[in-house]
Amino acid sequence: MNALALGWRNLVRQRRRTVLMGIVVAFGFAAFALAGGFIAQSFAGLREGTIRTVGQLQVVDRRAVAAAEETTLEFGIRDAGRARSIIASDPAVASVLPRIDFVGLASTGAKSVPFLGVGVDPEPEAAATGARELVVAGSYVAGDGGDGVLLGTGLAAALRVRPGDRVTLMATTPDGSLNAVDAIVQGLVDVRFKELNDRYVAAGTTLVSRLLQSEGTVSKLVVFLKKDAGEEAAAKRLASALAGAGFPVVVRHWRDLAVFYEQVKLLYVGIFGFVGTVLVVVVILSAAIVMTMSVTERTREIGTLRALGTRPSGILRMFLAEGIVMAALGCAAGAVFALLVRAGLNAWGFTLPPPPGGTHGDPIHVQVYPLAYGAGLAVMLATMAIASWFPARRAARLSIVEALSHI
Amino acid sequence: MPTALLEAHDLVRTYRLGAAVVPAIRGVSVTVGPGEFVALQGPSGSGKTTLLNLLGLLDLPDSGTLRVDGRDAGGLSENERADLRRDRYGFVFQTFNLIPVLSSEENVEYPMALGGRPAAERRARSRELLAAVGLAGKEGVRPDLLSGGQRQRVAIARALANRPAVVFADEPTANLDSHTAEDILDLMRALCESNGVAFLFATHDPRVVSRARRVIALHDGLIEADTVVA
Repeated sequence: MNALALGWRNLVRQRRRTVLMGIVVAFGFAAFALAGGFIAQSFAGLREGTIRTVGQLQVVDRRAVAAAEETTLEFGIRDAGRARSIIASDPAVASVLPRIDFVGLASTGAKSVPFLGVGVDPEPEAAATGARELVVAGSYVAGDGGDGVLLGTGLAAALRVRPGDRVTLMATTPDGSLNAVDAIVQGLVDVRFKELNDRYVAAGTTLVSRLLQSEGTVSKLVVFLKKDAGEEAAAKRLASALAGAGFPVVVRHWRDLAVFYEQVKLLYVGIFGFVGTVLVVVVILSAAIVMTMSVTERTREIGTLRALGTRPSGILRMFLAEGIVMAALGCAAGAVFALLVRAGLNAWGFTLPPPPGGTHGDPIHVQVYPLAYGAGLAVMLATMAIASWFPARRAARLSIVEALSHI
Repeated sequence: MPTALLEAHDLVRTYRLGAAVVPAIRGVSVTVGPGEFVALQGPSGSGKTTLLNLLGLLDLPDSGTLRVDGRDAGGLSENERADLRRDRYGFVFQTFNLIPVLSSEENVEYPMALGGRPAAERRARSRELLAAVGLAGKEGVRPDLLSGGQRQRVAIARALANRPAVVFADEPTANLDSHTAEDILDLMRALCESNGVAFLFATHDPRVVSRARRVIALHDGLIEADTVVA
């Protein structure tokens, strides 16, 4: 009869209490498993979203890392076509997207509104980032984009234009002169952030280069890697290949560019860390009460076991084993519960509220993250061991004579 | 005379009850040899249980010495005392004190498991002991399904599991009807004679006293008389 088997029998004997305590542990475990899964899913979603916007790697001019441009394309990459083909020839690279950042005024003649523009290569951009899915009215810009532009919904509302209408884009060229081009509103997009929707303009690089009179120069090259390609290794290879070809550029990792990602991650870790701590404390306290009751009720039994020659450490082990068997049972029940809740939530199709500053929430889709279940098990085992420790130690230290005469 | 099993010299034990100091044992010297069948007799509060607890290494004296098998028990650690109880002592309690979650057989096996005996040996020994106390066929039964007399028989079998030198029994018949009590006493006496195990009872049951071969009478924490009965 080992300690675990004895622990199990004592738990069965105190059935009602075991069930109640098991429910506490099960809820604790399920909370960890589900919240852990939810956090992991949120981080994965956030990561994916971030990468969609900034790419996995970004190639920028060396000067752009430390300082902001004073004029458009001040730190642009010249001869971008050559750089692009060098990058594209790396075996790990799936696609390279040119981006031109620019600012200006969009005008319908009656009204002018400042915008934040981005010049893209429309087809590869859509393929890599899913940009086409952001279109809520009209259509995406085809081919090299031609004269077509995409406007953020807020900007379109401010200008009172609809797909098919004409707008004039005005901007300052790198050499400081003012230029304008006529464009056709091809579609309206919701980029999921209200502030950006009110200012967003996207167009093909051909049109933007004509506006800025900057043929062949881009602000940056956004790189997407093939699945499972090593980001760090690819970054190193690209940096040396480009440096070898005479480009004064650096390769940046998406994590360095995504301040938002790190901030949200920190926020989530903070919130869930706090809630998790409260949860652990509650489970520890209730388990400690249950174990203390158990020790008190079995005082005479403890005295008997001690009289028969059980060492104090043996008594300690017996109660610890009970706590651990309880934790294991509770976690098993909690895992079943968590899987049921997960199935229910996913079937319900509930949509989460949008993240801070966002316009769209994602539908909840809780995945099974084995790591979260493993963490739940580890936390509950540790919790029950801590909760059992003090009552068990009290039991081990009882005076035998007093324990035997306990009523 | 063979080596004394238990040799107590001038044991003193006082308890504190609130502000009052209660002297339970006030200087008791006693020697118990192997195979003795001894009754500690006396009225309530005379110190029988206290003396039994001290000799049984369940409690520590305030002063005085105790030698077990010629070895000074005063210098033993908690674990050493536990090991000594496990290997050399058996205990029978007034309220039987079986482990409720274990079957009769497992209760008897428990002290042997503590001593690290192999499972097969434990099983064989517990069956043999349960048969010896008249409980063959009750091996798998849990204590709550046994009568008082049957429980005490299991407790006796458990006390003998590790082939102890001495069995301590505090009022072993107090919770039994008179017929059962006599059966239990006859059983213990028979086991004492067949196994050479010493039995030490604290009791005020005249039936126990009448079966003892030696009666130590306690009064107010002192030995009043120590009589060897033929």
